[in-house]
Amino acid sequence: MSEKTPDAAERPELIDASRRCFLKRSAQLAGGIAIASAIPPVAAPHLARAAEAKEPLKPEDRMKYLFVQREHCTGCRACEYACSQFHENGAVRPAAARIHIKRFGGVVDVPVICWHCDDSPCVKACPTTPQAIVKDKETNVIKFIDDKTCLGAKCNKCIEACPSQFLRRHPDTGWPMFCDLCDGDPQCVKACKMQTEDMGVTLRANKLGFGVNMAYRDVTPKEAAEALFLTQFYPNEDGERR
Amino acid sequence: MAEPKGGYFGKMLEIDLTAGKTSVRPLDDGELRDFIGGEGLGAYLLYKELPPHTDPFSPENIIMFLTGPFNGTACPSTRLNISFKSPQTGIYGHSQVGGHIGNEIKWAGWDVLMLKGKAPNPVYIAITDDKVELRDAQAVWGKDTYETDEFIRKDLQNDEYRTMVIGPAGENGVYYSCIIVDRFRAAGRSGGGAVLGSKNVKGIAVKGTKSVPVVDIEAFNKVAGEAKELAATVEGWQGIKRWGTAGLLEAATYVTGSLVAKNYTTSWYPDINLIGAEEASRTFWKRHVSCPNCPIHCMKLGVIRGSDKYDGLIAEGPEYETGVMMGSNIGLTEMDGYMKGIEMCDALGLDTISTGNVIGFTMELVERGLITPADLDGLNPTWGDAETAITLVQKIAFKEGKAGEFLSLGVKRMADKIGNDAHKYAIHVKGQELAAHDPRGFKPRGYSYAMGQLGGCHHEGNSPEDQAIWAYLSSMVMCSFVAGYPWKKRSPGIVCDMLNPLTGWNTTPEEYWVTAKRIITVMRAFNIREGNVSRKDDILPVRLRTEPLPEGPQKGAVFTDEDTQKMQDSYYAYYGWDENGIPTEETLKKLKLDFAIADVIKT
Repeated sequence: MSEKTPDAAERPELIDASRRCFLKRSAQLAGGIAIASAIPPVAAPHLARAAEAKEPLKPEDRMKYLFVQREHCTGCRACEYACSQFHENGAVRPAAARIHIKRFGGVVDVPVICWHCDDSPCVKACPTTPQAIVKDKETNVIKFIDDKTCLGAKCNKCIEACPSQFLRRHPDTGWPMFCDLCDGDPQCVKACKMQTEDMGVTLRANKLGFGVNMAYRDVTPKEAAEALFLTQFYPNEDGERR
Repeated sequence: MAEPKGGYFGKMLEIDLTAGKTSVRPLDDGELRDFIGGEGLGAYLLYKELPPHTDPFSPENIIMFLTGPFNGTACPSTRLNISFKSPQTGIYGHSQVGGHIGNEIKWAGWDVLMLKGKAPNPVYIAITDDKVELRDAQAVWGKDTYETDEFIRKDLQNDEYRTMVIGPAGENGVYYSCIIVDRFRAAGRSGGGAVLGSKNVKGIAVKGTKSVPVVDIEAFNKVAGEAKELAATVEGWQGIKRWGTAGLLEAATYVTGSLVAKNYTTSWYPDINLIGAEEASRTFWKRHVSCPNCPIHCMKLGVIRGSDKYDGLIAEGPEYETGVMMGSNIGLTEMDGYMKGIEMCDALGLDTISTGNVIGFTMELVERGLITPADLDGLNPTWGDAETAITLVQKIAFKEGKAGEFLSLGVKRMADKIGNDAHKYAIHVKGQELAAHDPRGFKPRGYSYAMGQLGGCHHEGNSPEDQAIWAYLSSMVMCSFVAGYPWKKRSPGIVCDMLNPLTGWNTTPEEYWVTAKRIITVMRAFNIREGNVSRKDDILPVRLRTEPLPEGPQKGAVFTDEDTQKMQDSYYAYYGWDENGIPTEETLKKLKLDFAIADVIKT
């Protein structure tokens, strides 16, 4: 029987990146995971729904960072559902969700989140005065302030500056979409809990970043997928999958 | 014609492949309310649109991709239904599949895609919201489903497209070829892949950015959230989350006695430990994968390591039906060859259930001397021979040699060709191979196989009432692990509570049952028109009615003639059909199916 083994060049892009680079990345990733795992589970009430979370949270109860443990993501997109429901008046519309899931090679799903970088490259990159994006230092909320000030598609500076390729444009307005942590109570985290808690939750929120967010944010979705692919499916040297 | 207010866009995309033209057709709210979507709407549209007695492989055959009202909403686990006239059975063919493409179709603004005609050259269809393109697919014609999936997303230069594609089996018109969605999920039954292949369509890629209109969004999202919680927390579902349906492999062997082994000769197969869920969990699985918004994540991805031949093989499964038919049904005992067989079926676009059944049947024919290796290009398939089984899978998909041509017919046509006693060992209903629960060990499953409108299908419901619930479920295009078993105690109330705020209807439990019966009956009417189906066809294969199970927890069980009669009588009575299984004129009128009277009632 003839074994059909397409050569590495035809394989998905998962394979073609420099291996060394991506081993380094995965070491970085593994370190990050260890710290993230040590964080106690989210205090948010289990299965609470958006409609019930209308009272503004006290400042000390607000979540300021998101974390993701990518091995457990099932690609269900419940986080996209929850995000768009919160930001789009209840409508389910993944194309307009801030958080998004990217599937690589049909095999691994990577949740792409805002790491709420302490140095905010997106805000820094905004060229207008006053700036169209503002980050609240107290709450870590990044807000798109002014669609009159924003230069729109001809600029693209914030999107290019985002090291984790999180920023996307809204399908209707074309304005970039930023993570406002749902005013301190991230809905994606709540949604994820029901989806994956039996294996270990994928998305978490916390009040501290521990600097892990700064290590993680340089990992692009593609690099994260490569690391997952390598650590979970450990392909052969030549990238052969079958 | 009334426009739907919510739950639907009220639009069907019709693609005429021969002319390369697309048109938009409105869907009427009243018709949607009568047939819901998915399986029901598919049967209704097929009845109306398809000229009677169309050859399933001719350009005139229609293949539809149907969503339901809940696709793309806050409702968990919505799927895709594919409806067509089946080349395998000659009657209504439909198949349900998970993955994200059903939702993408809905988010692109379509309730239904309907394909007609035949493209002059191999194409794939790219749908991005309102934009529809027929793009050249000659480069991947003959290639497997994985390469095709990669090709399409590379060709469109966007990873966000979700795809459904066919493999070589579909191109070559194998009767039981499937359509592969999102790379690892299969719309397996009835031969949809062959219909798509006969139309020169290699695949469909969809990306949508819209949102589904909802009449009362706050009320709907609340009840959808509750419905999801119901599914996520149902007792016993931890097993499905942990092992997927593969967990049933052990359960069917040791507890229910309904496992299928060695072409339905027994249900006792202790070697299941070597290829079951626990073995897969320890040595193979790496990732759990979900359908949209589904908390069950029953799909498992794994990789073979430490095998000489298949080192590094990434595959999906085993699931229950797949694991039995490609495992115990052909007597396998090794994880690597077993997973290779399953992966080959996915890659080449074959239905694992039918393929496993066909190979098991072949093994028995060889054992009994009804065919010889000379009839199979010198291959000598014996129980547990994974290598030969894998070779046969390859040959079937490409219809290669005598063996490929012969096995690609499916068990009914194979038995017809051999003659003699062969039909005694051919395990099919209405021409479609049976799946993986032995109805001798688990009698209610007899309803699904024998009475279900598809023939030989495992997903039709295990009693007359269950079939109504399952027909409604398949018309909502939802998963039985979310909206089937977990919601059952609260059905139909919970379904009405969800549909009403979504669509602005005021549907009631009474209407639910009428609609469900209408859906079953329209499928039956189509089957009578196309295949002259009646009581004589609603029957299990000879083996299950005459040979008691030799071993296992249900030792001695057999599906008696009494069981058959009771099953048929109760079913026809429940649906208001006559004793020959033909819907009465009164029933058809009551269900607003007057248009079918002329075809169904023959004097």
